[in-house]
Amino acid sequence: MSTEAVLLVAAALFGIGVYGVLSQQSFVMLMMGLELLINGALLALVVLWARAAGGNPQGQMLGIVFMTVMAVEMTLGFALITGVYRVRRADITEKLRRLKG
Amino acid sequence: MIEGTLVDAAFWLFAIGSVVAGFRVFRTDSMVRAAFYLLASFAGVGGILVLLGAEFLGMVLILMMAGEMLVMAIVMVMFMMNPAGLNPMTMVHQNRTAAAAGLAAFVVLAAVGLLGPFPDHPVPEPAAATEELGIELLGDSMLVFQTAGVALLSTMIGAIVIAGRKGRYGIADDGSEEPPLQPDEEPVR
Amino acid sequence: MRPYLGAEVSLIAIGVTLIAGVYLVAVLDRVLGAAVAGSPIRTRLFLAEPALSAAQLLIQGRRTTERPDAAGWVFAPALFLGLAAVALAMVPLAPDLVVADPATGFVVFSAAIAFVMIAVFLHGWSPNSPFALHGAYRYAAQALSFQIPFLLAMLATALPAESLSIVDIVRAQEPLWNVVRQPMGLPLYLIVGVAVSFWGPLNLPDGSDLADGTSVEDSGMARLLWKLARAAMLVAVAAMGAAGFLGGWFGPVLPGPVWVLLKTLLLLVVLVGSGHLLARVRIERFVTIAWAILIPLALLNVFVSGFFLL
Repeated sequence: MSTEAVLLVAAALFGIGVYGVLSQQSFVMLMMGLELLINGALLALVVLWARAAGGNPQGQMLGIVFMTVMAVEMTLGFALITGVYRVRRADITEKLRRLKG
Repeated sequence: MIEGTLVDAAFWLFAIGSVVAGFRVFRTDSMVRAAFYLLASFAGVGGILVLLGAEFLGMVLILMMAGEMLVMAIVMVMFMMNPAGLNPMTMVHQNRTAAAAGLAAFVVLAAVGLLGPFPDHPVPEPAAATEELGIELLGDSMLVFQTAGVALLSTMIGAIVIAGRKGRYGIADDGSEEPPLQPDEEPVR
Repeated sequence: MRPYLGAEVSLIAIGVTLIAGVYLVAVLDRVLGAAVAGSPIRTRLFLAEPALSAAQLLIQGRRTTERPDAAGWVFAPALFLGLAAVALAMVPLAPDLVVADPATGFVVFSAAIAFVMIAVFLHGWSPNSPFALHGAYRYAAQALSFQIPFLLAMLATALPAESLSIVDIVRAQEPLWNVVRQPMGLPLYLIVGVAVSFWGPLNLPDGSDLADGTSVEDSGMARLLWKLARAAMLVAVAAMGAAGFLGGWFGPVLPGPVWVLLKTLLLLVVLVGSGHLLARVRIERFVTIAWAILIPLALLNVFVSGFFLL
């Protein structure tokens, strides 16, 4: 369980997340890609906290901030998806052609 | 931080499971299964976090993600065309570009991870990570803690305002639309 | 490293406890039902009936629906049972007699309770049947509502212990049990404890008004396994209530583990009896109560117990 192995796993999760964010048409699937991005970043943060920062508690604090960001992004993302669907009847990104309204 | 072959085996199990589950999120037809594959990916990452010594972070991640993925599965059923995967379909755009970008991101980050000169400064044993986190949360990082709390509260209020049934401009079932700029114009769309 | 039981002993211990606990829940259900209804308590029949009905379910034929999610349908009861085992593994019988005592045992227990949402949703989604999905959605509303009061009620027990480990939480009750120190804690915990395993008054996902809700298409072994899992989770919730609120292994004459079993039995009687004494609550009413009444009460509980500690 070397640092490199864990960072490799984090990079893999991040790469899959980038693929998901760029390729998915549906809003909800796009958000799942975003979740994977933050997942990978969180894993990289914690392995560096454990191996390279000597257990500095501020590293764990940053991890808590990451999880707060995850929660906030998902909540507002779902609320906006609901709102956009009600006004524009759009559930995939292709249907939103204009930013106005 | 604990060592040993059992820990290594567990780590590889969690790691491979997490990456494979993360990949299957975008390859499965059933949307509810996609949400639960993402949950499996998060559970794997939570397990690795516990193995690394951040017990509280790992278990709280698993706890949070159970609720989040349930809500995601419900939202999938609300908005996706094919929640049970009964008809195979792919809804992707710019697939090749996205795959290339994902691969490029992985290669760059893996290079940084493998070649970067990270200092070797492990957590001192015995580690009371949870206790240190608690003291940090309510001590030096109290401002961060309070800001996160207020941010979460405003998120909750904002989400209810945006998505509530009584929308900003009327009942949502009628399509709560903004009133037009001039009284007799068409509403803004 | 805290002392804990070895792997083989732990598996056997949890297995035996779950089987005994589930049988006890079934017998208690019948005994309390007869006592409340005023009919005679036929001891031999009640002791034999759970085994008989289990055998009848085992020989029942397997039933399937059109295009179910077969993997999910099989996975859901297994996941539920596994979560009950994990939750039960956190309960200590004595300071050195516990299956697992991680430093964040409270969070592991709460994560196991949270994952039950996933198991019930899968169980309702997989048969591809409307009543089952209806039950799954009801449990989603119910579970998301009771999570916060559950966490807060249990969190108040961690305050005197200044630790998240269950063994420390029990040890901190040596001077005074938590049910006396935090009087609002145990009733809150019992209310949401009934909701976790959707028993009795909160049996909304599997309710008879939905023709058995998420279990509507189950038959045979799968049905038996789901009932077992629900009863097992009830046992785990009762055991954790005994450890967190009723002082675990502390008691005058008998040895520690016997006290844990007695206290678990007391809470089981309360939880199972609630099914025969209270009518089923409507989902809208329960959700409103959970968000508008239980959360403020649980927060008040935390504030008051914290105030008395400072």
